[in-house]
Amino acid sequence: MESLNTAAGKGTFSRRSVLTASGLAVVSAAFLTACGPGGSAVPQASSGGSGAPAKAGGTLRIARPPASKAETLDPASSLSAYEYLGAIYNRLVRLDENGAVQADLAESWETSTDALTWTFHLRKGVLWHDGKPLTAKDVIYTIEHMLDPETKSPQAGVLAPFISASSATAKDDLTVVVALTSPNAEFASLMTGYNCYVIPAGSAATIGKTGIGTGPFKLAAFTPAGPGQIVRNDAYFGDKPKLDAIEFSSIPDTQARVNALLAGQVDLISQTNLDYATSQTVMASSVATVSSVKNAQWYTVPMLNSSPEFKDPNVRLALAHAYNPKDVMQLAVHGNGTIARNNPVPPTEAYYLDYGLDYDPEKSKSLLKKAGHDSLSLDVWTSTYDSVLTPLALAMKGSVEGSGFTLNVKTSAADSYYTDVWMKKPLMTSYWYTGRPVDQLLNQIFRSGSSYNENAYANPDFDKILDQARATVDDAKRKTLYQDAQKFLIDDGGSLTPFFADRLVGLSKKVAGYKEHGFEFDYINIGLAG
Amino acid sequence: MLTRFVIPRLGWAVVTILLATLLVFGAMQALPGDAATQILGQNATPEAVATLRRQLGLDQAPVERFISWLGHALSGNFGTSLVSGQPVGPEVGRALVNTAFLAGITIVVGFSLALVLGLVAGLCRDRWPDSLISTLALVGMSIPEFIVATLLVLAFSITIPIFPAVVVAGQNASITELLPAMPLPALSLMFVASAYIIRMMRTSVIDVMETDYVHTARLKGISTTRLVLKHVVPSAILPTLNVVAMNVAWLIGGVVVVESIFNYPGMGSLMIRSVQSRDLPTILLITVIGAMTFVVCNLLADLAATLLNPRLRHPRNAK
Repeated sequence: MESLNTAAGKGTFSRRSVLTASGLAVVSAAFLTACGPGGSAVPQASSGGSGAPAKAGGTLRIARPPASKAETLDPASSLSAYEYLGAIYNRLVRLDENGAVQADLAESWETSTDALTWTFHLRKGVLWHDGKPLTAKDVIYTIEHMLDPETKSPQAGVLAPFISASSATAKDDLTVVVALTSPNAEFASLMTGYNCYVIPAGSAATIGKTGIGTGPFKLAAFTPAGPGQIVRNDAYFGDKPKLDAIEFSSIPDTQARVNALLAGQVDLISQTNLDYATSQTVMASSVATVSSVKNAQWYTVPMLNSSPEFKDPNVRLALAHAYNPKDVMQLAVHGNGTIARNNPVPPTEAYYLDYGLDYDPEKSKSLLKKAGHDSLSLDVWTSTYDSVLTPLALAMKGSVEGSGFTLNVKTSAADSYYTDVWMKKPLMTSYWYTGRPVDQLLNQIFRSGSSYNENAYANPDFDKILDQARATVDDAKRKTLYQDAQKFLIDDGGSLTPFFADRLVGLSKKVAGYKEHGFEFDYINIGLAG
Repeated sequence: MLTRFVIPRLGWAVVTILLATLLVFGAMQALPGDAATQILGQNATPEAVATLRRQLGLDQAPVERFISWLGHALSGNFGTSLVSGQPVGPEVGRALVNTAFLAGITIVVGFSLALVLGLVAGLCRDRWPDSLISTLALVGMSIPEFIVATLLVLAFSITIPIFPAVVVAGQNASITELLPAMPLPALSLMFVASAYIIRMMRTSVIDVMETDYVHTARLKGISTTRLVLKHVVPSAILPTLNVVAMNVAWLIGGVVVVESIFNYPGMGSLMIRSVQSRDLPTILLITVIGAMTFVVCNLLADLAATLLNPRLRHPRNAK
């Protein structure tokens, strides 16, 4: 999410542009619903613009929100141009839709009984785009590059606690051995992150521009925050992509991206969760449609545990019981999502525990009393950074009426939301892309002292469960431990998560075979309808 | 006239530009965050921010940075972008050319049309052409440009797709790629900017038509065409010129909203991006160019006013 949040969001949505976007939505929705073929249906989950399989060949045009002029093709960097990565690179391993680890460049992998030593066996005959063969050296270099402080890779913080720069060694040309500094039975899943794409040995200085990978597409052109093109790699080791080429264009303004789609200038707009009104406009159009990616957006209301307001777990639990998630989800995203009951782990995850805190205003009042408050008035901060954040804050405010809480919605400028509000204000709205493996999610966002710990949640007992889980090689036992961790976190008021929302993606009716989950975009099967 | 009028004004211009940069620099310091935190966003861990600040030279004191910028700027070196690491000159230059192109079309077509419409409205005071033009102008003044732009896109790129809705190539677009995308942003700008010019022109035409010398000319039996071209337009255009000048400067300074909506790679969209990423060197160069445009346009308007003023054209009549 790192780069997604930053990239997609930060630089690109100004208050004005969102105002503009809603302007478009209102005006054009009014027009189109007046004369269009009844545009009031809720967008349905589907796997592409057109149901037909994609034909071979053709060029797909994707409009993307650029991160900034500092964009790079270095996958380890937090400034990476996200859309290119999955097309031009491969990782050792990747995640499937159910959160299970699958082979990519590594054909197979195993861990020692103490979860300290991992061995990855690389696929034979994989070629880089420049024709050189992939070897263990490249993988080792990639790990070193990710951990180098100068790279400032967000994944470094995830891996650093149990790995060092000298951890990875080559047993032979196609075998990589990683000796961890502390046991981790989930190491493979942590190598599925989108910062973990493998780059050629010695390429740190050049990879940002050359984009030499092993992936299904080769780089033809790339301009930071500008246009770019990738073409099919006929030497790719896996199934060949349907498309001949993909053209990327960078359009920072959300409304401009939607306009480009409606005018038929682009075929898909990436990293853009359409607000409901705009999705209706797109659905009513004759050239474009909306596809929803199930539970792709995790919406949460972090309570800063280090603040005087939320120090007491009773207050956190009281707030978790004070709102009705059904109403909140209906109001904020027109019901397009799944109720989370304050569990931050999405229900599609392999380790998901079906447990949570439900709406109970009486319980909320008694918990609040236990914490020494008859009633509590709090500011909840939001911004137009994402189209759902403000509706979410307003829905929460409405829903807690009748409990002991009163929420006042405060709005901050979108471009300083993550510097001024995030991890600074006691109560705010926030969102992430789902798709992190459970171990990364719990460690990165809830472990004491983690730099993405937006709740400032710190409980050594919780950290201990995570350590135990990492040291447990037995799959069933480890799963139980991650579920224990979820229950512990929820019961400690560690997360306020009303719902997971479906991402509404705008795409042309000509697009076939569009599929995306988590941080995985299917570049092989996407194409144009025959 | 050069020494009496232009030289002191140029002196003040330099002071104005200097103050503008100082003000903008100060304002940028007052904004939360800096280039390092904005670039990193949610990944702005203390270590990453410290590393990036060091890499960008943001660890120096603001005063030091401003003085060093000023020193370099005076020698023509406006520095490198904090975000792309490229010299800011060429990038801002490209954006300026693109914006000037868009502004040029808007000015030549839109403003001439506005002056003619204002003249017609003034001459036909309170009759139907006046009502029609005045109402349209009022509508143009009242509707924000993003609504106008949106409606134009809806009409001419989506419903009847004759023009592209956005510039897909973005910043790299060549002028030939920009040309087909030009009509809609230009029309949006014309609609908004012309409104003021029409209103101003109409009012001053009405004023001039009431003057004694117009009445005299009419009584002497001069033809309407001659009256309008020879006596009314030169006098009526004088007060309008300042409005035109302000609008020209506004257009060159970059029209943020319209450029963003059309993804038009001009000064406005560059400015909004630079402010969001707190890219000071780029913002300061845009400020210098913007301030310079305002100063020059105003100066030109005053000069033109002097040249067009009948009293100055016929010095014997001047008191």
